[in-house]
Amino acid sequence: MLEKIRPGILLSLLLIPQFIFAESGQDFLRSTGKIYVVVVVICILFLAIVLFLARLDSKIRKIEKILNK
Amino acid sequence: MKNNWWKILGVIILFYVIIVGMIVPLKPGIVDSSPKTVSAGHDIELTIETYNTHLNKAKDLNIFLKFSDDQIISAKSGDIHDYNHLTATFDIPIEIKSETSIANATLIIDNEIDGPALLPKAVFVKDIDKTRSADVWIGDIRPKLHVKDDFAFPYRSVIHETVRNTFFHVAIWMAMFALLIVSVINSILFMIKKDMKYDHISNGFTSVAIVFGLAGIATGMIWAKYTWGAYWTADIKLNMAAVTLLLYLAYWLLRSSIDDLDTKARLAAMYNIFAFVALIPLLIIIPRLTDSLHPGSGGNPAMGGEDLDNTLRMVFYPAIIGLTLLGTWMANLYIRYQKISSELLEREIDSEYS
Repeated sequence: MLEKIRPGILLSLLLIPQFIFAESGQDFLRSTGKIYVVVVVICILFLAIVLFLARLDSKIRKIEKILNK
Repeated sequence: MKNNWWKILGVIILFYVIIVGMIVPLKPGIVDSSPKTVSAGHDIELTIETYNTHLNKAKDLNIFLKFSDDQIISAKSGDIHDYNHLTATFDIPIEIKSETSIANATLIIDNEIDGPALLPKAVFVKDIDKTRSADVWIGDIRPKLHVKDDFAFPYRSVIHETVRNTFFHVAIWMAMFALLIVSVINSILFMIKKDMKYDHISNGFTSVAIVFGLAGIATGMIWAKYTWGAYWTADIKLNMAAVTLLLYLAYWLLRSSIDDLDTKARLAAMYNIFAFVALIPLLIIIPRLTDSLHPGSGGNPAMGGEDLDNTLRMVFYPAIIGLTLLGTWMANLYIRYQKISSELLEREIDSEYS
C-alpha cells in the first residue's frame, strides 16, 4: 500500500522546490532546488533504517515480556 | 517510552544533521586564478574562476592583491564573464617589501551580494626590489569589505562541498571512539566483578563500534577516490586506522573461536582492553607526529581547532552525539537479543532434562 503512494509523495515533494526557488539552471548557485531532492532521499533512507530498528526493538520487547512472565 | 527517550533524541538529532548539513550553502570562494607568476613592474591579467558567487549581478565588485597588511593594490581593470568567471588586470609595482626575494600575494574578490572570497598565494612576483616599498598601496581595505554574517560553511580549496563529510565520515569515527570507551569500561568491570552482564554489554558495544569503524573506512575510501584519485594512499592515518580495525576484527574472531562461555568472556574482556590500549597510540598519537595528506594535518589527525569553523561545529558536535545514540540503540538491541536467545536456549535445555 505504502509502496504505491510513495512515488506520488516523492514526486509532489519534488515539485515544491521548483515553486519556491525560481533561480535555477543558468544561475546555478547555493540552492538549485535539486539538493532538496537529495535531502529528501537521504531522509527517507534514514527513516527506513530507523523504522527497521524500531520494529526490531518491539519484537525483542515482546519476547522479553513472554520470558519474564 | 520513558526509557526510550534517548533513542528518539538520537533520531531527531540525526535528522537535523542531515537536513542542515546538506542544505546550508558554502561561503563564496576562489577556485583558481592564472597565471601564477609575474615579473615585478609588469602588468598581469588574471583569469579567475570563483565558486558560489553572483559576479554578474554585483554592483560594487572589488578585486585586490594583498602582499601584506599594509601592501594592497586594487585591480586597474576587470571583465566579468558570468556569475563565476572574470579577468582582472593589475599593475605590479617593483618595490615590494618582502622577507623573501619572491613575493606572494593573496587574491581578494569582494562584492555586496556574496561578501569577500580569497585565494592565498595566488600570484608570485619575482625580480622585486624588496628593500623599499612603493607608494601605490591603497591602505586598509577592511572597512570596504562587505563582510556577511549569514550562516554558511567555509569554502576550502580541493575539498569544496565535501566539507559536509565532516558530519558523517568524521562523526562516525568519533562515535566509534565513544562506543569503544563504553565497551572498555564494561570489560574492565567484568574483569573486576566477573558478572556476565558486563560481558554482554561490552560485546554489544564493541560489535557496533567495529561496524561503525568499517563504515568510517568505507566512506573514507569513497571520498579519497574523488578527492585524491585513489581509494587508498600510503598515508599514516589511513594505515593506522586499518591496523586498529584489524585488531578489533580479531576480537570477533576470538569470541567466535571459543565455545565455553566463561573462558570466552574472560579472554574477550582482556583482549578488548588490550585493543583499546593499542588504539590510543595507533589512531591518536602516531598520526599527530607527522604531516599527512588527510585533512586536519600538521599535527592533528581529525578536523581540529584550525579546520573547524564555528558554523561546522554547530552540526558536527550534534552529529557525534546523534551517531553515538544511534550506535547505543543498535548495541542495546544486540545485547537484548543475545540475552533472550541464551535464555531461550537455557529453557530448551532445561525442558529436555525435565
